[in-house]
This record gives sequence, C-alpha cells and structure tokens, in this order.
Amino acid sequence: MESKRFDANGHPVEDTPNVGGQFWPAGRNGISRKRFLQLAAIAGSGLALGACGGDQQETAKAGPTGPPKRGGTLRIGLSTDVSEFEPHISTGAASNLIRIMVYSPLLTYDKRGELTGNLAEDFGWADDRTYEVKLREAVQFHNGDELTPEDVVYSFQRIKDPKTAADLSERLADVEKVEAGDGNVVRFRLKQPNAVLPYLLADPSSAIVSKKWIEGGAKPKTEVMGTGPFKFVERMPGVSVKLERNDNYFVPKLPYLDGIDIQPLAEDNARVNALRSGSVDFIDYVPYTAMDIIERSSDLVLKSDKVLGFGWMGFVVDKKPVDDQKVRQAFAYGMDREKMVQTAFSGHGVPISGGIIPEGWVGYSPDLEGTYEPDYDRAKKLLREAGLPSPSVDILSTSAYSVIARPAEAAQAELKNADINGKLVMQEWLTFLDTVEAGTYPVHVWGSTPDFNDPDFLSDYIGSDGWFAQYIKFKDEKIDELLLEGRRTVGAQEKRDEIYHDVQERMLDLAPWTLLIRREQGEAMKSYVGGYTHIPAGAWSMITLRETWLDK
Amino acid sequence: MSTYLIRRLIYLAFQALAVATVVFLLLRLVPGDPVRATLGQTATPEQVAEVRGQLGLDQPLIQQYGEWMGNLVRGDLGTAITSARPVSLDVGLRIGNTLELIVLSTVVALAVGIPLGVIAALRSNKVTDYALGSLAMLGLSLPSFVVGTVLLLIFALWLGWLPESRYVPWGESPLGHLRTVVLPVLTLAAPFAAVVMRMTRSSMLEVVRKDYVRTARAKGLGSWAITMRHALRNALAPVLSISGLEVVSLFGNTVLVEIIFSWPGLSSLLFDGVTQRDYPVVQGVVLVIAALVMLVNLIVDVAYGVLDPRIRNS
Repeated sequence: MESKRFDANGHPVEDTPNVGGQFWPAGRNGISRKRFLQLAAIAGSGLALGACGGDQQETAKAGPTGPPKRGGTLRIGLSTDVSEFEPHISTGAASNLIRIMVYSPLLTYDKRGELTGNLAEDFGWADDRTYEVKLREAVQFHNGDELTPEDVVYSFQRIKDPKTAADLSERLADVEKVEAGDGNVVRFRLKQPNAVLPYLLADPSSAIVSKKWIEGGAKPKTEVMGTGPFKFVERMPGVSVKLERNDNYFVPKLPYLDGIDIQPLAEDNARVNALRSGSVDFIDYVPYTAMDIIERSSDLVLKSDKVLGFGWMGFVVDKKPVDDQKVRQAFAYGMDREKMVQTAFSGHGVPISGGIIPEGWVGYSPDLEGTYEPDYDRAKKLLREAGLPSPSVDILSTSAYSVIARPAEAAQAELKNADINGKLVMQEWLTFLDTVEAGTYPVHVWGSTPDFNDPDFLSDYIGSDGWFAQYIKFKDEKIDELLLEGRRTVGAQEKRDEIYHDVQERMLDLAPWTLLIRREQGEAMKSYVGGYTHIPAGAWSMITLRETWLDK
Repeated sequence: MSTYLIRRLIYLAFQALAVATVVFLLLRLVPGDPVRATLGQTATPEQVAEVRGQLGLDQPLIQQYGEWMGNLVRGDLGTAITSARPVSLDVGLRIGNTLELIVLSTVVALAVGIPLGVIAALRSNKVTDYALGSLAMLGLSLPSFVVGTVLLLIFALWLGWLPESRYVPWGESPLGHLRTVVLPVLTLAAPFAAVVMRMTRSSMLEVVRKDYVRTARAKGLGSWAITMRHALRNALAPVLSISGLEVVSLFGNTVLVEIIFSWPGLSSLLFDGVTQRDYPVVQGVVLVIAALVMLVNLIVDVAYGVLDPRIRNS
C-alpha cells in the first residue's frame, strides 16, 4: 500500500512517497541525488543493494534473488537478552526488536531509511500546528480486536502520563492534544510547531497499544500484544524468545516467515561462531573483528552502515584544563582520525573531521568537512597560547563496549603527537555513566547513535536542556536559539539546512566535544536469507525482517 | 549425628542471613543506578524519581532492608527491576541448569582425575607421571575463558563435532541438550580434574608407603587389590576434602563459562543482574548460591563424619 502525505495546507501530495514530508524535498530525504543515481545504476546492474543516506555497506553476496518464498523460521542470535516488553520504554536493542516485530507505530522507515506509513495510510501536516494521520482500515490486534482511533489516542495519553515514564513523553511536550476525528483520522494538535513529530511517530517507543487490553489488566512489561507482523509466543529467559507469523497482518502477504526464534548470545565470538556453524541464521551487532571473516566467507553476508554509530571525546567545559576553548580545539586538532579508524576498528569506520550530521540528512554541511584535520603543530600552538604546553589529563572511558574502549585507546595514543598526555581511566558501564554524569573527569570518550533521523537529535547533546549538555556543563544561547528555530521550522527544507549548518559550525568552534569516528555497524546472515535490508535508522534497523525470507 | 546436623543447619541459617545483609548493603555502595539502567540516559530526573518511587527505592535504606527481609521470610525473593518478573521464578528456571553443569563437571573431574592420579602415582617419576603432571599443570594454569574458547574453536568450529553456544533445552531435544552440555562441562572439569589428579597422586604416594600396604603386599595380595582396596580407599579422604572446595569454586567459575557458552544458568542471571544493578535479582541469586555453597560444605562435613567417627564425635 502506497502512503500519501499532505502539504502544509493539508492537501494530499501525490508525487513522491517521501514522508516526513515537506521539510525534506524529493531526492533529499535520506539520500543525495548523486548517491541515488549511483545506487540506481547499481540496482539496474542486478545487484540487490538497498539505497540509503551515507555509507551503507553490503557485501557483493547479497543473498538469494527471485520471488520471496513463504515459510520457515529465522533463528536470530541477539547480542542481548530481552529483559522486558514495556511498549513505551526502550531497554535496548533486544526489546526494540521485539517491539517492532510485535507492535506497530503509526509511521515507520522504508528500505531507503525514509519515513513511510505503517498503521497510517495517509499522514502529514494539515497546518504547522496540526498533524493528521488517517489509519488503515480493518487493522486487527493479535487478539482479534480491531484497531480504532481511540486506541491511538489512548496510546499517546499513556506515553504522556508521568507514571509510565515513557521515552518520548518529554519529546512530545509540544503535543497539546491527540484527538480522534471522523473517518479513522487522528489529529495531533501542537502548542507550537515541531518538525520532529513525524519521527517521533515512527519511534518504536510510540507503539500503538490496545486500550481495552491494557485497561483489562494486561501487564505490558511481561505480556505482549500488538498489531505487528509477528505474534509473541513465549520467552524463556536466557534461552529464547519465540514469535510466530501474524496471519492477519495489515500489510498483505507479509511477513514471509512462519516465525522468528531469538536466542540471546551476548558474547561476540559466540554470536559469530553460531552464525558460522549454522546454528543461527542471522546475528546483530557484528563485531568489527569478525567483519573481514564474514566478508570472506562464501556463505555469509554482512549488511551494515557507517552512518549511525558515532564516537566522541567530550569535555566538561567548566573543568580545567578543558575550560579553555583553545585546549579543547587542541584536542580536536591533535588526533589523526583516519589512523584511529585503522587502529581502533581495523578500517571498519570513517573519520569525522567536520559536522556530525551525515550525508543525506537535513543539515548535512559538506563545507564543514575537514574542519579538524590532524594538525599537531596547530594543536601545540593552541596549547602554548593557553599556557599549557604539555598538559596531562585523565580521560574517562568504559571497558564495557569495545566500540567505545578502542577509540579511547587510539585517541590516547594519538594525542601524544600533540604533547597531550592522556591517562585512560576505564570503568564498568553503569559506573562510567555515573562518573560522566558527576563530571568527575575533565575528558571522556563515549559513543552512541542518534535516536531518530532528524538533526534535532543534537538537542540532547548540545542543547542546554539536553542530558549530555548538562553532564558536560555546556550551555550556549546561540546554539539553543538555533536548535529551537530548527525544531519550530516546519516545511522549509533550505532554511533548516542553514540552521543546522550554523549549529554545527558553532559547535565545531566552541568544541564542547570533538567527534571521532563513525563506526561500521550492522547485521550478518547466511546467504540463504533474502529480503533483509539494513537501514541506518537507529532502533528501526531491523524492521525489514518482516520482508525477510529463507531460500532453503 | 542428628544434634550435629541441627547445629549445623542453625549455623547455616545465620550464615545465610549474614550473607543476605552484606550483599544488600554492598550493592547500595556500588555506583550505578538501576532506574537509570532501565530508563536510559534520556529519562528526565522527574521520570527517574517517579520510577524510584514505584519501586520503593526512595524509601530509607533500613525500610527497604526490612521489607526485603520480611518478604524473604515468606519465601519471596522480590521482583526484578528490569524484567518485572518474580526473582524466584527466574531462579527456579535456571538453578537446574547451573546445578547440571556443576554435578556433571564434578563427576567428570572425579572420573578422570582419580584414575589418572592413581596411574601417575603408580608410575611415579616415569615418563607417564611427567606427562600427566604437565597435563595437570596445563589444566590448572589455563583460565576457563581460554579453555572454553579453544574447545569451541576445535570441537565446534574446526571439527564441527559439537554445537557451539546455542543452548538446547532438554525438553526440545534430549540428544541436542547433551551435545550442548559437553563443552561447558569439559571447560569446568579441566582445572577440577587437574587438582583431583595431583591430590590423588600425592595422597597415593603417601599411602603406599604405609605399613599396612607393606603388610598387604607381604600377605601376597595382588597389586590391583592393594591399590583399589587398601591404598586408594585411604588416599581418598584428602581428595574428598579438596573436591568439596573445588565444587564450591565451580559456582564462581560458572559465571565465565555460562557467558562463553550462553548457558542460561544462575550465574548468567547474576551477571546480568550485576550489570543492570538489579538489586532484587543480585540479592536473590547470591543468597541462593550462598545457600548452595553452605549446603555443599555441610554435605562434605557430614561425609567426613560418616567416614571418620572421630570428627563426628568431636
């Protein structure tokens, strides 16, 4: 079913399936024109490569071709065990996977990483303070009840209820009212314009739940019931989670699989070994140490991106010696990120020398690329100007995740070239989080992914109310103004491009953090697994499991 | 004997209480907030406060302790913060898996370690003895994560004889389950067998020099009968003692082994609980493991008493 969108006046727009709509013109939403043409040419030559913004990677062994086959159970080795199923709180990759397979939000991402309809048939801005969603007809919950606009209204009331402590409650603060209209329409009335709303409606944590089911006493932390492509069967803690096909899924013919059997395999080597030996068909979070092996294997396929996962060095800006902007800039110039990609990830990543917003996204600023190319002499000069020719600094990081620890080690080694003596302090994960929050050490190395594909995710990091900005005591009125303006600008792509360009430019100058590497991250599977596309869309990376099939 | 047992059981209850209290307090001293771990960094302070209130974590420590102890007396280990499941439910589901590893590892270690120890003793200072001694040193010095990974590489990946980390429940496929249990059991049994072998060897060497063995030999008994009936039986007391200690240490070793082999036992539950600061889970699992360890110690002590009346009477 093809989705529609509305223009700023609420009229349907027929030209393109680009949703998120007017603020991303055709050909720009998640993919540059040049990139699109390149990929179209590749697709035309018979390689099944999915298109997306940024560096999406797929090995030449792209899996089976031909019409999808129905049936079979996909065995997934997952990096974490599912702890609980609360639909409106994300507790990590595993629970997100279950959530997107069993529940459905109003919108989702397509194979190109662009917003598209899910429970919503039509959607878009009626005006800059009203967002309208027309629900698909006759969508059924897994218990047979029909989805109604009241369920949608109830779901958002539940998300906004402080007792739920939902992920999105704060982000939906601009939503004054969610109301059910005639003809299966739901309206989101906003206090003020908020360009991010469509992305929030596509977040796994905005899953639509059945009002009757929840009010009937269901325990959504341990029970699961939605409208998604798969139904929950059982969870054996530490052993497996079993899902079975939803025969009444609202997208005709999908899913192709009869079921999914998820097994937690937390240890990286165990997960890769299980895939290589064939005890699972699919794994997530492929460790960079195994990527080359997988790419060399004739029966394995790696699908990944170098867009989402990014690492940084953060500075507590009121703590010596990084309270001086010149010192922070010296850190930024004092690292050869290209070398760090090799040292930390054996080449599985790309250096970030400019802005954080990747190519294809709103606000991507090619002119900022290369702002912080390695320049040790300049770094030393800046340090001298700051009166700290050879500073010794404690650098906090965590040993819990190699994707964070490895760049930290590489950064420490690199900084020596600029006469910066970093002493690494490695902590266990939750201790690390506590220590960063307390601002105990002046410098830390960390990594994460944007929560959604809109540059407003930067508000969390450098907006003065953002959780990260508060950790590093960063506050800048100009950036706050720009971020607010960007959020309030609905339907003016070029203006948003400029706004986020300015945000990044100022961010690079003030340097409350310096960006390091975009790491490669993705999934690997047996070559008989077809239909899966890795989309760089955060928690939604695995939505295409609903289109996945087995050629065996 | 019954007085001795009752005394030990009362002692055990007090020990368990002490362990429970120490674990409760220690956990609160460890940095890291379980609510933050559940809600993530983006949660607002108000949301964190709300959930802390829902979980009772905003109550004074003494009140939290009192409630936990009260529930404990009623046999309730509490509810996990992250999964919202009763801790006793998950402990019940997993305890069998850990005990299976421990019991099988003990059987394998004794079945391998004792005969090899006897052989080493009988061939003392010969090539066989040196070879077995070197093997034992290898088993003792290699950490379980190395043994486990090497076994996985050889038997699962290179030879393909055994499955790697995919746990198969007994109910799903008994044969599949037995195949999955082999590698973790071998990993756990390797250092245990090495200790048993070395202890059996040294104990046997000591016993075969005793007068009653010389007498038996003088009576004209065959070497098999002397070894099995007279020497080995008496040499086993220290082996039993060290085995008790080794079984206790197996509870610790299972943590790494369960992680390497993705084995859904108590130790992996504990590991997850610690990384998430899930207080009820950690408290519950540590208490259960402590009780099991104390029980093993009790069994060993009682076995001593059965074997040696002097201990029983003292």
